[in-house]
Parts: sequence; structure tokens; C-alpha cells
Amino acid sequence: MDIFANLAHGFAVALTPINLLMCLIGALVGTLVGVLPGIGTIATVAMLLPITFGLPPVGALIMLAGIYYGAQYGGSTTSILVNIPGEATSVVTAIDGHQMAKQGRAGPALAIAAIGSFFAGCVATVLIALLGAPLTKLALAFGPAEYFSLMVLGLIFAVVLAKGSVLKAIAMIVFGLLLSMVGSDIETGASRMAFNIPELADGLGFATVAMGVFGFAEIIRNLDAGAEMNRDLVQQKITGLMPTRKDLKDSTPAILRGTVLGSILGILPGGGAVIASFAAYTLEKKLAKDPSRFGRGAIEGVAGPESANNAAAQTSFIPLLTLGIPPNAVMALMVGAMTIHGIVPGPQVMQKQPDLVWGMIASMWIGNLMLIIINLPLVGIWVRLLRVPYRLMFPSIVIFCAIGIYSVNNAPVDVILAGVFGLVGYWLIKHDFEPAPLLLGMVLGPLMEENLRRALLISRGDWSVFLTRPLSAVLLGVAAFLLVLTVLPALRAKRDEVFTESEN
Amino acid sequence: MAETMGHSATATRNTSVAIGFCLLAIAPQIFEFIWSIGTIFGWGTGRGPLQVVAGHTMALATSLQSFVLILSALPGAILGYLFSWPPGPTVKSTLSSDALLALIYSYPIFAVAILTLFMTIRSAQDYVGGIVLMALALFALWAGSDLQGMRGFSFGAGTAPRMFGGLLVALSAGIALTGLMTQGAAFAHYSWRGPLFVMAAILFFALAIRPLGVVVTAFVSFMIAATGSHETRWLEAAIVGACLTLGCAILFPYVLGLPMPMFPRFLIQ
Repeated sequence: MDIFANLAHGFAVALTPINLLMCLIGALVGTLVGVLPGIGTIATVAMLLPITFGLPPVGALIMLAGIYYGAQYGGSTTSILVNIPGEATSVVTAIDGHQMAKQGRAGPALAIAAIGSFFAGCVATVLIALLGAPLTKLALAFGPAEYFSLMVLGLIFAVVLAKGSVLKAIAMIVFGLLLSMVGSDIETGASRMAFNIPELADGLGFATVAMGVFGFAEIIRNLDAGAEMNRDLVQQKITGLMPTRKDLKDSTPAILRGTVLGSILGILPGGGAVIASFAAYTLEKKLAKDPSRFGRGAIEGVAGPESANNAAAQTSFIPLLTLGIPPNAVMALMVGAMTIHGIVPGPQVMQKQPDLVWGMIASMWIGNLMLIIINLPLVGIWVRLLRVPYRLMFPSIVIFCAIGIYSVNNAPVDVILAGVFGLVGYWLIKHDFEPAPLLLGMVLGPLMEENLRRALLISRGDWSVFLTRPLSAVLLGVAAFLLVLTVLPALRAKRDEVFTESEN
Repeated sequence: MAETMGHSATATRNTSVAIGFCLLAIAPQIFEFIWSIGTIFGWGTGRGPLQVVAGHTMALATSLQSFVLILSALPGAILGYLFSWPPGPTVKSTLSSDALLALIYSYPIFAVAILTLFMTIRSAQDYVGGIVLMALALFALWAGSDLQGMRGFSFGAGTAPRMFGGLLVALSAGIALTGLMTQGAAFAHYSWRGPLFVMAAILFFALAIRPLGVVVTAFVSFMIAATGSHETRWLEAAIVGACLTLGCAILFPYVLGLPMPMFPRFLIQ
């Protein structure tokens, strides 16, 4: 079997002591930073990205994968213990996880999250190995029109599962698209909306905007009067780390369902881990004999979404490695890292750099293993870290973020821009706009424009090309169907049912 | 909210919202004016403050007429826009950048501000959110107005920005309408202390990192940011700030090998 030979090759690359060490350091540092409240996966990866610059390409990407999983797990630890979801994917985990922590069952919640993630990671790793090659062939059938339609579908996914108003979510995506237009035009080189500021000639940095809209905005909001209550720490001792037999029995089917759901949704660009975790929570709640337990500390409510988001996080490497499309914000950072090392993600990367691709796939599994090894014993330490009062925490986060942004380009202007986007993010929160679709729009903007231009150039200005090419028509059809489904009031009611709990 | 506050209270509220929009309408002009004051002292480049005031006043005054003309011919103009979008370069080149700013950005917002006076705002959160977003989109349309549009069937540099800008104007108008039609959340409470000091810390960091180095900058920024919370205890903050500074000074330049100055430039020389 070709696949297993490839996987074996991958493990041979990833299991060299130096790469193992990279993976361990990445996972450890990622967890350490990701566990800080207010710093989510995006900020962690953005901040730690410079660490990998000096390493050889394979080592750097393996370390980055470790950082990514570490950050993701760190994020769920924070949501369970202090109810501060550091990122969108752990919002759902916080609903039931924090309730469990309040009942003194933080140990089982954390353990189930780790076990679920590990299992989902194992399955998804095999899936990537199996589906990577066939999907590469599919990628070759994709012309500019199909790429464009695919990205529209991805953006619609972000709308469907964003909470609150659909109109606002779409507006945020378009705002993101507009922001991505700043800088030099790819084809003509004309400077667009840059106001002669040299630092804007390359466009707005993604890390700059992400750090501002998520990091700084979250800090400012937490400083609001009255927000103190939401930051209360679970001061109870965590007793009994391991889940009971009943916990395991309850959560096993949830983990299985979450893994399947997450693996499928992760492959779709744009949706990724966020949609997967929300969808898994909804599914668990629907299938449960007693849905009223959800929101009051049901272990399935932790197991399902956590497995789903990890599986999705893993399988979202598929569109990145094969189609070259970053399915979410973190993946976009990965593309940035790859480009720095001279690797252009896309269909060729599988053939040209097998060491890199298979080494990375194998390292994902090892990264997951590292996570479970690191995190189960270290939960006590993470809790102590979280006891640092917020009045000392937030200035430290500000400094770390500022240094992080400055170090990306050595540009002070970037730090100021991040500050401005912090204010924008604060304003967005106050007016109930969600920043996540904005970032997705910003990531996909240049790609969308490029493919739209190319498609119309090839079709000689004929807009119907998006509907006459079958694959593109199907993708657009699915997108339209999803949008209609979201706007329908019946589904709206169900969406609200899920999301009212996340408000509590 | 309307029930508890009565009619007159709602009216005053509307007036203040309208005044806010008027300020928003000339915000870019005000910003350029403040920026231009720096040129007196030789900072930065650009027009002097007098030129800025004169230029914008002229632009606002002269383009009012064209705005009214466009308004009176609005249905035709919309049709024209749809079929020859973006407007041909011949129209553009006759107007200065200041006049375009007045025409594309300021007057539409003024118009919205006047309309606001006669509206019943059911959800201030949505209405204001929509209008401010619309202002951003209009500003982007102005910022991209010098770019080339379609050339035959091939996109120019300005086509996509205008497309997205136009779309955002429509969507934000929809959000603002939602704020008028449906009952919703009122204006959110903003606090000033957190944003002010966190922004001050970020600004200080950006300005000081090059000349003053990591050690001084990180510590001072930490203390400025710490001022943003009323829970801060000074001695504790100073100790933690010092430790953090030490950690950063070791971590970033040495362990991670980032090129960063450590100490103030004047001390090294």
C-alpha cells in the first residue's frame, strides 16, 4: 500500500530525535501560551511564529503543528477552568465544561477533553493520509471559477454558524474583504487605499489585525466595569483527575460522533473547527435522552465538541496541503510560515516535498500524543497559573502582544495599527458584530479577487461562467441552499436554542 | 426604552446621535487638520493646516451644489451607476480629491444625520452600528476612487474594492434599517479608562521601542497599561512589571534571537 509506505516514511522523518524535540517544545510552549486567558490559538500561533524562523523547514513546520495543537488544548483548558474561551472553537466547551468545574469535576472534564482530542487526532491523521492523495487529484480539476465558488461556500459556512444576525455576519465578511484590498494590487501593482504609508504597501498584516481585534479588544472589554464577575476563578481544588467508569461510558459515543462530524467539516474550507464544535454540540443535545442536562455540566457536551474541533483542526490540513486554500485564520498563518520557508502550498507540494508533507502528517499524531502526556499531569500547574489575578495578567498580555507584533516585521507602525484594530474590535463587540467572519473575509479576500479576475478573464467577461461550469454551480448551489436554510425562521429558532446557552 | 424615557427624551437622544454623525461626516477632514499641525514643527509631510482648512472648506462649499444635483437626479444616477459602474474617468478627473471626499463621504453622512432626526430608533446598537459601518465603506470608496476601473472585461485595480465597498454600503444600510424596524438592544455602555490606558501603553511601546530599547519600553508600557484597571496595586504591579521586563529582555533578544535594541540608544553611544 502506497499510503502506508508514505506514512511510514513520514514517521521515519518525524521520529528523528531532533524533530521529536521540536514537536515536544512546540506542544509545550503552545499549551503554556494558549492557556493564558485572552490569548487564543491565533494569537498564540502568531506570537510563536518567529520562533520557528531560524529552523530548517521540516523542523519548523513540525514545531508549528505542535504549537497549534498545544494552543488549541490550552484554549479549552482556559474555557473549562475560568470560562474564558480564548477562541471561537472553545466557546462551546466552556458551556458544559465550566459547569463541571463549578461542581468540582474539572478533572474529568479536562481529562475527557484530552482523551477525546487524542482519539479524534488519531482518526483524523489516518484520514489525512488516505484522502490527501485523491483530493490532490480533485484539486487539479479546480479552475479559477471553482476556486471562487468554493471560497464563497466557505464564507457562507462562517455566516451560517455565526451567532446572532445573519446580515451582520455577512457585513463583517465584506468588511474583511474590503480590508484585504489595502496594499498593492497583485496584477497592476497600483497602491490601493494605502495613503502613502510605506508599511501599508504590503497590505494589512493578518497577525496585526487578529491580535488587535481578538487580543487587545478582549482585554479592553474585560476592563469594562462590571466585567469582573465573569472573570471569577474556580478556587475549588481539583479533586480526582480521572473520569469515572460512568463518565467514560457516557462520553465514548459522543467522542465517536464528534470525530466523524469534525473530520468531515474540517475538510471544507472556511468552516473548520468552529463549525465542527457547534455542530457536534447541537448533535449531542439532539440525541440525548434528557436534553435538559446540557448546560448544567453534561460530560457529552465536553466530549463531543472537543473531539470534533480537534478532528476538524487536523483534517483542515487537507485543503491547505492539497488545494493551498487556508480554511481558517490559523491555517493562513501556517501558509505564511510555509512561504517564509520557500514552500508554496498547493497540489505540487505533495510530489515535490514528500518529506515535508508526510513528516508533518506523522508529527500531528505525535503532537497529539505529546499533548496528552504533557497535559494530564500538568493540569494542576495550569490551574495555578490561572490564579494570577487579572490586574497583573492584562498588562503582561499587552506587553507580550506588542512585542509579538513588533517582532513580525520590526515595524512600530504595525503595533499602532494593532492598537487601532483593538479599538475597532471593542466597537464591534459593543455593537454585537462578530470579529471571526471579518478575519475569514480578510484571509480569503486576495484569493477571491485573484480567482474572480482570472475566471472572468478566461470567460471573456461572461459572469455566467460560475453557473455553467458544473462543479462551480454545485458549490454555489450548496452555498445558496445553506444561506436560505439559515434565513428560514424554523432553523433560526433552533440556532437560538443552541446559542442562548453560550450567553450564560 | 421609549416607554420609560418618554417622547422628549427620545428626541434629545436622536439629536445627540445626529450630532455624532455630523462629526463623523467631517472626521477625515478633522484628522487631516490635526495631522497637518505637525508640519509646522517639521514633522511629517503634507499640506499645512491653513491649506487643509482652505482646501476642505472650498471643497465642501463647491461640491454641495453637485451633491444636490446628484440627489435630484438620484434615480437616474443609480441606473447610470449600475450600467457604467464605476463612473468613467472623465467625471473623476474634473474633481479634486477634497471635493470627492465631500461628495462621496461627507454629504451622504450629513444626509443620514438629518434623516436621523425624524426617525424612531428602536435599536440604537444596530442603527448606529450600521451607519458607522456605512461611513467606513463610503470612506473606502473614496480612498479607492483614484484607482482604475474596468478595462473592457478585465478588472482594474479599483474594481474589486469598489464592488466590496458598494456591497458593504448596501449591507450596512440593511443593518441600520433593522435598527429602525425591530426592537433591539440600546446603546452599549462604553468605559473610557481601560481603552485609554491600554491604547496609551501600545502607543508608547510603538514610539519608544526603537529609541529606548526593550528594557525601558516594556516596563513603562506595563505600568501605563496597569493604570487602566482600578484594581491595580502599585507596588505589586511594579515588581511584576520588573520581572516581566527581565523575562522579555532575556527571552526575545537572546533565546528567540529577535533583532531588538536592549537599552536606550543614547546610553550605548
